[in-house]
Amino acid sequence: MAARGRCPECGSGSLVEDAHYAQQQLVCAACGCVLSEGLLTTTYTDEEHLREVAYSQSTGQKEQRSRCLQRGIRRVQDLCKVLQLPAVFEETAVSYFQRALQLPAFHLVSLEKKELLGGCCVFVTCRQHNWPLTMGSICSLLYAKQDLFASVYLSLQKELGLSVPALSLADLVTTHLNSFRLFQPTANVPAPFLEDREKLLARTLGIVELASEAWLVTGRHPVPIVTAAAFLAWQSLRPGPRLSCPLARFCRLAGVDLPPPAHLRLKELLEILLGMASQLSWLRGFRLDKKTVVKHIGDLLQHRVFLLRNAFSQDGEEQQDTAPGQGSPSQDPERACPSAGKRHGGRSLRPLLPPCLIHPRKRLRAAAPSAPAAAATGDEPISDSEIEQYLRSPEEIQAFRKAKGWL
Amino acid sequence: MEGASPLERYLESCSGQDDFSTAPHLFTPMSPYDLELPIQTAEDGVFAPQLNQPKELHTDFSSVDLSFLPDVTQDNKEQNLSEDGHETQEELDGSLPSNEDSGVFTDESSLSDPGAAQPSPEASGVCPPLTPMTPVTPATSSESSGIVPQLQNIVSTVNLACKLDLKNIALHARNAEYNPKRFAAVIMRIREPRTTALIFSSGKMVCTGAKSEEQSRLAARKYARVVQKLGFPAKFLDFKIQNMVGSCDVRFPIRLEGLVLTHQQFSSYEPELFPGLVYRMVKPRIVLLIFVSGKVVLTEVVLLGVVLGAGAVQSLSHGCSGKPLEASQNSLCRVAPP
Repeated sequence: MAARGRCPECGSGSLVEDAHYAQQQLVCAACGCVLSEGLLTTTYTDEEHLREVAYSQSTGQKEQRSRCLQRGIRRVQDLCKVLQLPAVFEETAVSYFQRALQLPAFHLVSLEKKELLGGCCVFVTCRQHNWPLTMGSICSLLYAKQDLFASVYLSLQKELGLSVPALSLADLVTTHLNSFRLFQPTANVPAPFLEDREKLLARTLGIVELASEAWLVTGRHPVPIVTAAAFLAWQSLRPGPRLSCPLARFCRLAGVDLPPPAHLRLKELLEILLGMASQLSWLRGFRLDKKTVVKHIGDLLQHRVFLLRNAFSQDGEEQQDTAPGQGSPSQDPERACPSAGKRHGGRSLRPLLPPCLIHPRKRLRAAAPSAPAAAATGDEPISDSEIEQYLRSPEEIQAFRKAKGWL
Repeated sequence: MEGASPLERYLESCSGQDDFSTAPHLFTPMSPYDLELPIQTAEDGVFAPQLNQPKELHTDFSSVDLSFLPDVTQDNKEQNLSEDGHETQEELDGSLPSNEDSGVFTDESSLSDPGAAQPSPEASGVCPPLTPMTPVTPATSSESSGIVPQLQNIVSTVNLACKLDLKNIALHARNAEYNPKRFAAVIMRIREPRTTALIFSSGKMVCTGAKSEEQSRLAARKYARVVQKLGFPAKFLDFKIQNMVGSCDVRFPIRLEGLVLTHQQFSSYEPELFPGLVYRMVKPRIVLLIFVSGKVVLTEVVLLGVVLGAGAVQSLSHGCSGKPLEASQNSLCRVAPP
């Protein structure tokens, strides 16, 4: 079938489509010159003019992924393999990544951010399926700075409109404990320090729950709390040889990083435990301190509901239904009324509140809204003198010019 | 590299991990807890044992020590009930509908609050019979909460409608600073009302720091007057309040993890990133930053109509002393000037 066009060599118009072996060729019937060969079917009108259409201009280009996208998808897949996530996670993460990369907010950012984007998609997928993955672990896998990761994560959440459920603390404890190297005998871990995984896990979970009830978890980074709880649990399971081991050494032996806030969390946990221990009848005789209370953690956890209730005042108001056998009931409310949270011991109890409320940082507050009655409408006249005070006098300008060497 | 080895160990042990998506329920949902407030005492007996179950955040929690259960007797039940309702995540009524905590709260019992928490069923990926959370306008109950959000900052913009020479302004004005390498605008401050303005060479100006809309307008006019006195034909067009930031204190601590479970579609709580919970309320369209201490920051209050403010906050947070709120009718509740 003759196509339109002219042969560039001889100028004849008789062009024939012929197949040379399997390849389609457009040949001039007069001089035999091959005009084009291997034409792919495209929708471009260039084909009519019998010119080869470069692949980058054909529709095939649109179907091919850009190199950036390909690399990103490979990265996401590699991350999923490293984390040993189920296949379903991988598909979801890849689809998020593809969607996100098309948005202008992510298409035109630096390469560094694009790499983080892949990690964020994996992170979001894990969280949506309640797979406990912390930002810290993803950042270490990506060698990324946490604040940059945070900004990419938040913008991803906003752009794609994803709802990400909160991190489940119990799952986090389980996976975090799995990374502790205390369950099998190794070279640098002495025998008395080895522990059974299930027991440690159970007790750590108990301590973490206790911390959560005592307002130590809300608003704080979860990993230091888990580390401190694991330390206390480990110590309490066999206090004899382990009480002398400090937190730093414990983390080194376990092969885990020691996050800086862990010491503070440990202190807070011990304070709560000491408070609870004071309510346990068979411990009242002892003078417990931070070290010795660890031995009794098992008992404290077992009765924690009762102990928490008795050791700490709940509302800051008096509880009307105190323990029975208090004495004359008529006196009770009167005694309880004036002082908040007093118990039969006569001690004043600290309320069970978040630490930020118990130890508020002193802040210099500016005077409370001294609403100037003057600015009632916003349309008051403005005096010239008031404005003049903000303008420089000519002498000042001269001096300033000299000093600055401007203009 | 040392950092990789904990990860490798984690990976090896991950292979033996549970399948999170198919973990079984560990407890049966209770009978539907119809929450016609105030709570009937008959239901308390049913509810009390639930209060003392451990927080079953991970359904594979079979090794938990439940031996403290006998500690709690019926006498202690009332005390439990009048406790802070913050233990939202400890009350595991699997079958409670989730939209019960919208609407009016009477504070006779803090039970109204815990009921809304659905931690473990959601954690296991199995969908409990929850009705979807519909965005509800916070209730305007007749009792006043006494909580009034204080305006902390107002951001407004105005168009001076003339091209400005920033160098000139910086030279002739005492209260201006201009560093073109850092930022392409003059930063000008006045003492009364105590505000800061960013003045751009196109003639647009942003005024921040005022504590009320009128003050913001007055301050913007003063800035315009300064620019006028410097010799530019400045006008005062399109004054518009862009953002208002208020803060308030609800006076009780808030269980953020419980709040994020019940209002999942609106809240975002990332303790690894930020200690507060970001709640994007739909109606009215405000963003609240809620902290565990009970302090709340309300922002992005772009006014299109009447704004309800902190009244919304308390109806969300499961307050123990949940004093019910009315819409705070004060400074946040005004229509923006055109």
